[in-house]
Amino acid sequence: MTFELATEVPLVIDTLERLFQPSTIARIIVEGLGKAAVYFVLAVGLTLVFGLMGVLNFTHGAMAMLGAYIGGLIMVLSVSDGTGALVRIALFVVVLAVVFALLTGFGSAFEYSLIRPIYDRTPMYQILLTFGVALILEEVTRIVVLSQGIQPEPPWSGAMGTAPAVFTERYDILGAPIRGLYAFEIVLGIVAVVGVWLFLNRTLYGLYIRAGSEDPEMVEALGIDVRQAFTIVFGLGTGLAGIGGVLLMWDPLWGPSALLAIDVLLYAFVVVIIGGLGSFKGTVAAAILVGIADSFTTWLFATGIVTFTGLPELTIFGLLVIMLIIRPQGLYGVEEVGGH
Amino acid sequence: MSVLELEDVHTYYGESHVLQGVSLDVEEQEIVALIGRNGVGKTTTLRSILQLTPPQEGTIRYRGEEIVGKDTHEVSNDGIGWVPEERRMFGYLTVEENIRVAVKPDDDFEAQREYVYSLFPALDEFSEKEARNLSGGQQQMLAIARGMVGQNELLLVDEPSEGLAPMIVDQVVDALETASEDTTMILVEQNFPLAMELADRFYLIDHGTVVESGSTEGVTADDERIRRYLSA
Repeated sequence: MTFELATEVPLVIDTLERLFQPSTIARIIVEGLGKAAVYFVLAVGLTLVFGLMGVLNFTHGAMAMLGAYIGGLIMVLSVSDGTGALVRIALFVVVLAVVFALLTGFGSAFEYSLIRPIYDRTPMYQILLTFGVALILEEVTRIVVLSQGIQPEPPWSGAMGTAPAVFTERYDILGAPIRGLYAFEIVLGIVAVVGVWLFLNRTLYGLYIRAGSEDPEMVEALGIDVRQAFTIVFGLGTGLAGIGGVLLMWDPLWGPSALLAIDVLLYAFVVVIIGGLGSFKGTVAAAILVGIADSFTTWLFATGIVTFTGLPELTIFGLLVIMLIIRPQGLYGVEEVGGH
Repeated sequence: MSVLELEDVHTYYGESHVLQGVSLDVEEQEIVALIGRNGVGKTTTLRSILQLTPPQEGTIRYRGEEIVGKDTHEVSNDGIGWVPEERRMFGYLTVEENIRVAVKPDDDFEAQREYVYSLFPALDEFSEKEARNLSGGQQQMLAIARGMVGQNELLLVDEPSEGLAPMIVDQVVDALETASEDTTMILVEQNFPLAMELADRFYLIDHGTVVESGSTEGVTADDERIRRYLSA
């Protein structure tokens, strides 16, 4: 890995000129919102689980990895060269539903059987348990995909190749070539934000979850089975992680691979911490902030002014560090959340 | 039959033996005060009834049925409400949402809401306000209202006058008197005159056990048997 800041003044001036061109701004915003949509879906389950239960779920990335592989498997088995774009998109929607259902069930069973017995212990037990299970899931996945002749690293190209051409082609938006996938991700991201918002703010169960995030003991004393709510929310959080994994399945920068288990977890934690642990609004804001920062630094790298390949990651984790220093509770976090 | 009976209840916080054999009973439509100094086990008695801190020995019967070993939400759904110390509002929910959480899913929310707003008209005025933005007195009203919805027949009220200005305490007393028309009540209260004014009977708790009990009729803080335990 090399780090070279181009010192030639003309290149810097040229880059600055290009930055303020409509095509550049359009590219950074559209790609940034596409990334933000994915980051939101990946992070919102984590923040819901922490907000209500006070559990830092280290299996979250592994669940997204499972979602990407399961989604990829269904697509590879269902799609042939002759399958049209509309059918592929319809299959993708089916895959989203199947993965969500499977992982919601898996997450609920996991919470009920393994996490529930240790609620009365210190948070370290939950961290160790979920971290251990994440490692097991990652290693088992590596073994399974290898046994099928698929390398767990790099990303599974067969699954990525099931994307319809409409998503891999680039389209002109204000003079910028934008990949079709980003527009699709933005649409799905909006659906996810609206769906989760409606669930939290327009359903009785969502009200219980918001109340439980503040004081689970009081909610229990009002006649609501908080343990059951924990199981349901953990399941939903896991299901959302699975959906996030499916969204990554066609993304050229990600794709199904065993690496998702850790990489996704890191990005999700960054978004959740910047937004404020347990805050839905914060997760939306932080996902947009991180998505735009990621998109901007990726563009910067593409211009050639910076050749350090890790610039997007460095920037995102830099944002995290700055946030922890100036506002440790995050953009919309409160001093104390969860905890029971 | 008593509404509630506690018999030789022992409750621990870790190694700390807090309740050391509490026995008491509460009759229909009564207000029973639990009095005593700080840290003698009054709040723990309420938490034990709710199974928030389950007893390790003894029995607690609600309308003749043993409730030790039940989950807290089951005890609540049996008809026992709680107005906790320091109110414990859901601060980021509105007044109306706080009430909505407390109404049982099968109950008629509209009817329950109208019922508590008729009792506490001030809450209606602030129904869309987040609970954290209410004054201490308004929050206490909301806490009592929250305990009253859900068809509760027994209300456990913990330190309702704590931290409130005297004028607000008068409003809270009115609210509790209104609530007592429909529910039986156990009242934990440091303000001795207030407890005696509201309650029909009292239990004096010291070192985790009941040391005195009886009617509140004519009882004053100068009473020798009371003074002995309430003075620090």
